Amino acid sequence: MAVQAPAVVVRAAPRASRGLWRDALRRLLRNGPAMLGLLFIAIFVAAAILAPLISPYDPTVGVIGEAKHGPSLQHLMGTDSVGRDEYSRVLFGARISLTVGSVAVLTGLVFGCLVGALAGGAGGIVDTILMRVVDVLLAVPGILLAIGIVAWLGQGQLQIVLAVGISYAPIFARLLRGSLLALRESDYVMAARSMGASPARVLLRHMLPNALTPLIVQATLAAATAIIDVAGLGFLGLGPGDPRVAEWGEMLTGSAGFLQNAPYLIFFPGAAIVISAIGFNLLGDGLREALDPRLKR
Amino acid sequence: MLRFIVRRVLGAIPILFGLSVILFMFLRLLPGDPAIAILGQHATPQLIAQIHETLGLDKPLYVQYLNYLGQLLQGNFGASIIDSRAVADTFAIRFPITVELTIGALIFAVGLGIPLGRLAARHPNGWIDGLVTVVSLFGISIPIFVLGYTLAFIFAVELHLLPYPGPIDPRLSVDPVTHFPIIDAVLSGNPGAVVDAFAHLILPAIALGSIPLAIVTRITRASVIDVSNEDYVRTARAKGLTRKRVDDRHIMRNAWLPVTTVIGLQVGSLLGGAVLTETVFGWPGVGSWVVTSIQNHDYIVVQSLILIFATIFLTVNLIVDIGYAFLNPRIRYS
Amino acid sequence: MRLLPEPAGRIEGGRVEFEGQDLIELDESEMRELRGKEIAMIFQDPMTSLNPVLTIEEQMVETIKAHKKITGSDARARAIELLSMVGIPQPEQRLRNFPHQFSGGMRQRVMIAMALALEPKLLIADEPTTALDVTIQAQVLELLSRLAADHGTAVILITHDLGVVAGMTRRTNVMYAGFVVESATTAELFAQPSHPYTVGLLHSMPRLDAQPGEPLIPIEGTPPDLRFAPVGCPFAPRCAWRVESCWRGMPPLEPLQPTTEVHMTGSGATHRCACWNRPTAEEASAGRPLRAGFTAAPEPIGAGR
Ligand code: SF4
Repeated sequence: MAVQAPAVVVRAAPRASRGLWRDALRRLLRNGPAMLGLLFIAIFVAAAILAPLISPYDPTVGVIGEAKHGPSLQHLMGTDSVGRDEYSRVLFGARISLTVGSVAVLTGLVFGCLVGALAGGAGGIVDTILMRVVDVLLAVPGILLAIGIVAWLGQGQLQIVLAVGISYAPIFARLLRGSLLALRESDYVMAARSMGASPARVLLRHMLPNALTPLIVQATLAAATAIIDVAGLGFLGLGPGDPRVAEWGEMLTGSAGFLQNAPYLIFFPGAAIVISAIGFNLLGDGLREALDPRLKR
Repeated sequence: MLRFIVRRVLGAIPILFGLSVILFMFLRLLPGDPAIAILGQHATPQLIAQIHETLGLDKPLYVQYLNYLGQLLQGNFGASIIDSRAVADTFAIRFPITVELTIGALIFAVGLGIPLGRLAARHPNGWIDGLVTVVSLFGISIPIFVLGYTLAFIFAVELHLLPYPGPIDPRLSVDPVTHFPIIDAVLSGNPGAVVDAFAHLILPAIALGSIPLAIVTRITRASVIDVSNEDYVRTARAKGLTRKRVDDRHIMRNAWLPVTTVIGLQVGSLLGGAVLTETVFGWPGVGSWVVTSIQNHDYIVVQSLILIFATIFLTVNLIVDIGYAFLNPRIRYS
Repeated sequence: MRLLPEPAGRIEGGRVEFEGQDLIELDESEMRELRGKEIAMIFQDPMTSLNPVLTIEEQMVETIKAHKKITGSDARARAIELLSMVGIPQPEQRLRNFPHQFSGGMRQRVMIAMALALEPKLLIADEPTTALDVTIQAQVLELLSRLAADHGTAVILITHDLGVVAGMTRRTNVMYAGFVVESATTAELFAQPSHPYTVGLLHSMPRLDAQPGEPLIPIEGTPPDLRFAPVGCPFAPRCAWRVESCWRGMPPLEPLQPTTEVHMTGSGATHRCACWNRPTAEEASAGRPLRAGFTAAPEPIGAGR
């Protein structure tokens, strides 16, 4: 029979956002799996940066007569079908995968946010047209869209960045527009508007910071798929197309021929892709929990 | 309900229309003469003239587009420049193979994902839940081709348990009637061929189904946990129903709703993944055709296949949406 | 009812006796047989208490069939009978409807019909009308009390609407923070409220016999966090009558007249109250302590709350 006081739900106002971010960071640091993910990512970032220093061999020079040697003390991960050191190639591959993957996600994020903010902010006919375009892009299964774009633009790192980026942009656009629309109806945006804040100010100061959290989470998770997709393109022979760079996906292209006598050539680059993708997935899930404490997985 | 269906169907049309515009521009926007871009190293003056003729490149852009659209609506997607065969004809032969692979992967993902999700939801944060979480994390983090080759290595090369590669053993020389490997095997009347066709499907279906499996598992888990906390589940228990009945009727009937939507969306990732899976397992379906066409710069085929895949994806999601409406009385009766 | 999942709901101890059986001792399947058949329950929010994807028919029939060997058509006939009993027009047609096709009041009627389907001995109604419009509230309550009387079903009504308590019940347990703080026949409780919380509740309600201009006195503060067991009287932080011992020990639930034999039930149930410093009759009607120079004892330092 207790007289219950109604639970007061406080949505963090943009002003208090510094405290909000700090809280989120603290929760993230306490999240074991997320920290493990961060560790995985850190290992590959270190490998990418230090590759020229720690690689025992030149990743692009093969030694004839030393092809497909199994892992040994000389070649930790063995040598590939033209006698190049697999370990050095995996290290250098981290450069391509991480940079191309993350730049692609950033590209997608920028395009997506422009479209999403324009659609969600302007509304009306602009919104309708932009969202139809987004629908069109979403109708093509992701990797297929990227494949089509590479086919169109030709091979090369920049092309891959654009292809994967464009195939992710619609997802971000839709996400941002969705949260902007929801925020537009929220009490504190109404309040800001009723106090005479200009539309641009409302959008930039009050809405975007709050719409940011789902984007951050999505972008981190997208980094995992981007690494996988970039590797997929490389595997299909649509990689950077430059024999001077090692790329994890490309290293797996001839895998069918390795099954019998050199399975380690599948295992090592494969493991590199899986571990870095797990890293971003763990971090993304952790970020989601940290940024939205009401949500548990 | 009928209004709902009509609205959804009408909604899909502008998307396909827009996609056809984009794909149409795809060739025209290439620098230089599209005919040369299409033909690449196969270009001869004679062929170039022929392409100009069929594409109507001398006419204004909108006329070209209307021609293109008119052809599309008649089911004419053009012909491959490699073997000059109509895209539609080759598609009819290759598509059943992709369908069989996709359905196999879907059965694997849904058939395993839903029970796993329910199991995990039974004791949230228990050890089964933890195990399921780890497995699904691997599922979404492993590329299809890495998983595919790993499976092939373990089960075909090392253990000799399952066949690799291809959809069926060519020595069985099964007559392609329907082009569905399993159905053709059944039609051949050779029980060994049926077993062989099924055995060939297992590894690619697992490789292709691993991502959908992870996602279906996660969604089922989350959805079951959500529904379990609903008041009406408490009511059902307060009525003295058995646990099984509460689970099957009261929880699952509701938990299905978000799961169906996600399954529909996974068809997209299956179609995209088929490109990789068919390449890994040497299946001559539509997916591997996309890859060879790109390698051959056979743009007309690539363009048509993208349009066809998008149409299939939209259609499947349309069906799923309508199925959702049937499952959900709140939509059915409004 | 043992419906809450562990660990959110945990039975710390004590006994829950129903017809001489301790419900805590029953295993899950024995408990399940009791639920719905012997003890039924109606919940607060009829909008969410019925399964949205099952028809009313499916939900009623499954209830009946869970406890009775009965054919589908008999169960259906019974369901129709029940729906018309709770005043739902055209029960045959309505049976095929889904919950969202009913209004809130109608849904609560369906819940009542479902709860009474097996003529349970006890019906627990957890704030059955708080989610309803005021006019509907009265109808639903009237229906509930009439049907309970007809079937000889005992009703435990959980509410914080004292008007409902006065109108519907014979005996009242006043609970605060999970503890029974006062127990009496309803008539006696209103005539002689003896616990500061009861007094506070009565004074926070508009009354017909109030003097014009007499203010409503709200109870200050908020209910305690139920996850932490209090050391002293749970009401102490909000109590105007508190004395120093209130902070230290939990007052026992004791009869007002210490000599009388305690009757737990019936019209002669003993009036009991858990308080170290009971308000007098005058203080109860004034709503505040009247003793000269009395001030509420401050919270001792380090009381360990
Ligand atoms: S007087 Fe003391 S025991 Fe009685 S209610 Fe107040 S605090 Fe509790």
